[in-house]
Amino acid sequence: MKWLVNGRLFDGELLREGLCDLVIDKGRVAKIAPAGRFVPPEGATRIDLDDRILAPGFIDLHAHLRDPGQEWREDIISGSRAAAAGGFATVVAMPNTDPPVDRSSLVRYVLERGQSAGAARVLPAGSVTKGRRGQELAEMWFMANEGAAIFTDDGLPVSTAHLLRTALLYADDLGMAIMEHPEELSLTKDAQVNDGPCAARSGLKGAPKAAELIAVERGIALAKDTSAHLHLTHLSAEESLEAVRRAKEDGINITCDVTPHHLTLDESLVEKSGYSAAYKVNPPLRSGRDLEALWEGLADGTVDAIATDHAPYHLDEKDLPFQEAASGIASLECAVAVVFDAWFKRGKPFGIERLLQLFTAGPASVLRKSDLGRIEEGSVADITVLDIGRERRVEAKRWESKARITPWEGSVLCGWPVMTMREGKVIWVDGDSGLHAERD
Amino acid sequence: MSWKRKHLIDVDDWEREDFELLLEQTSNMDSILDRSIKKAPALRGKIVVNIFYEPSTRTRTSFEIAGKLLSADVINWTASGSSAAKGESLRDTIWTLEAMGADAVVIRHGEVGVPYYLVEKLKKASVINGGDGTHAHPTQALLDLYTAWRELGSLDGKKVAIVGDILHSRVARSDIYAFKAVGAEVYLSGPSTLMPTDINSLNATYEPNIAEAIEGADIIYMLRIQRERQDAGLFPSLDEYHRRYGLTDRLIGKAKKGALVMHPGPINRGVEIASSVADGPQSFILKQVRAGVAVRMALLYLMLGGVKE
Repeated sequence: MKWLVNGRLFDGELLREGLCDLVIDKGRVAKIAPAGRFVPPEGATRIDLDDRILAPGFIDLHAHLRDPGQEWREDIISGSRAAAAGGFATVVAMPNTDPPVDRSSLVRYVLERGQSAGAARVLPAGSVTKGRRGQELAEMWFMANEGAAIFTDDGLPVSTAHLLRTALLYADDLGMAIMEHPEELSLTKDAQVNDGPCAARSGLKGAPKAAELIAVERGIALAKDTSAHLHLTHLSAEESLEAVRRAKEDGINITCDVTPHHLTLDESLVEKSGYSAAYKVNPPLRSGRDLEALWEGLADGTVDAIATDHAPYHLDEKDLPFQEAASGIASLECAVAVVFDAWFKRGKPFGIERLLQLFTAGPASVLRKSDLGRIEEGSVADITVLDIGRERRVEAKRWESKARITPWEGSVLCGWPVMTMREGKVIWVDGDSGLHAERD
Repeated sequence: MSWKRKHLIDVDDWEREDFELLLEQTSNMDSILDRSIKKAPALRGKIVVNIFYEPSTRTRTSFEIAGKLLSADVINWTASGSSAAKGESLRDTIWTLEAMGADAVVIRHGEVGVPYYLVEKLKKASVINGGDGTHAHPTQALLDLYTAWRELGSLDGKKVAIVGDILHSRVARSDIYAFKAVGAEVYLSGPSTLMPTDINSLNATYEPNIAEAIEGADIIYMLRIQRERQDAGLFPSLDEYHRRYGLTDRLIGKAKKGALVMHPGPINRGVEIASSVADGPQSFILKQVRAGVAVRMALLYLMLGGVKE
């Protein structure tokens, strides 16, 4: 039993006035009350949050945990611990593994490995198609029964409009969404950067924003046609956001997420860094204008979630010249701070409640999990404690993740998670934050 | 005036004075090439390693001759038939060559940004970019600049038309910067499919019609067209390309009298340039090659020997 005192409670929607105390028992929130109003039950462990934000456990909709099959990059244990250390109580593991998670036995494998990690909850995403080959639907009902949280062929778009339409209908029957990686592949062959000034000045093949927009519009048309729930992941272009905004106004069942790197980094960094592979990612870093459009999307509700697209690689695959280096940014352990730091530096362009929703209730609604992403009496005791004044340097060599290269290496960021709980268990504490708590 | 640059990755961070100093220095080296015994002791005891991951005749040979004329020991390392063929990484190769005492490495690589990577990884040796993918070819730009400067004098206000596959051309990217830095105006021509999408960021004027692009130009710079661009569907046929963008006597007849015709080589006769033009009186193509030796001598001298006050 735990007794969290003096927290500023964000319940998934609103930040409550004043400080709160919270009793956690048997993995659930047993009681919420204004600070100091009640005496805790005998034997409860007291954790003084000292005015820090007490939020529902953060949820990352999109992380590559590389397991099974690519454990030199990451595995479910290291990925689950990295998620916890990044303030996430739940992480959705992408199925583009080797073999791909395209059947119930592999869904079970991911879940069981995740449970054995004793850190963040690992929810498996299942492939939309068998082997991610884009030819026939994977056994989504079997996978859903085993615990798959969402379906995606991420890394690739669902191959054809016909398959995407079928998948949307089939998943909708199961009460689940299809997560689409929007990319028109014929426009992005060999692409390395955004098709903008950097591509012009370096000759690197550029991925035009139209490649994303075409796939976004395809998805919207099919979501409209089927009335099923389509989730568009890692949107990076102003035009994509505009399309989603219009679709939402039209009542189409669309959700979307954006990444911390597209919110804070732009294409100019590729040149400025001397073509450092730390900035190589797909979709590529876009222009400053696109970056601004993503923040507008956060502010006005067009964007439902911030998801990391954590893409870890071994140093030997990433510490290479730009063109031969692997594409992807690892961020699980600094993503929350990256976003909060940017939100501060932009002069808090919208309320903190909105920002917190993007890590909690927002992603929970994409997963259609009403038991996650909120705190109320009786809810699952997944908790992220956030210290918005805490400053810390990003040092990948100290990460739980196996990744060692990140664009934010060495940056001092402000606004860090300091404790993560899953089902009432403390799965991570920042020992240097001044918060006195023990890992369970 | 002294030379402070340790590496040469690109000319996009060079000031006008840097170009001018280099041109003067190249002029001195050029006179060595006229001597009966073309050898100076300036770089005795220095080791220059040419690391070539892409085939190259003129750039590699030119660096080799330049180094040897200044008495440096020049070693050629090519990817085929070396440890790279056994799967050694670039990083290990350059560390190995540095451990053997290389003072400068000249790198030619098919990928953008590789010379920056070398600068980050090497502790001591100077890095000279001999061409990195589609990105930059600074020594080509410098030899082009020298060739034009020697013939025309000041390039202030001169018009340069660069014609062809700008999209894939490291030569064009470096030349645009170099010519603009010394005051020239640069026009680009070629089909839109061979231009970068964001062409404005190249700071040159795009004119799709070649006749208009070269009108009044002091320098007409033709780029090599690679056959694989046709395979990639960027233009329909070499014949159509030649008819639309090839530099022919007919076009030369309409251009400014005495305009310099330049090309980085190797040329595709009958594609981007007609043989009669390539071999004609306005062709500076072989003068460019000679300038390449002098420019590289000047660079090696400045980078490895330095300028005394």
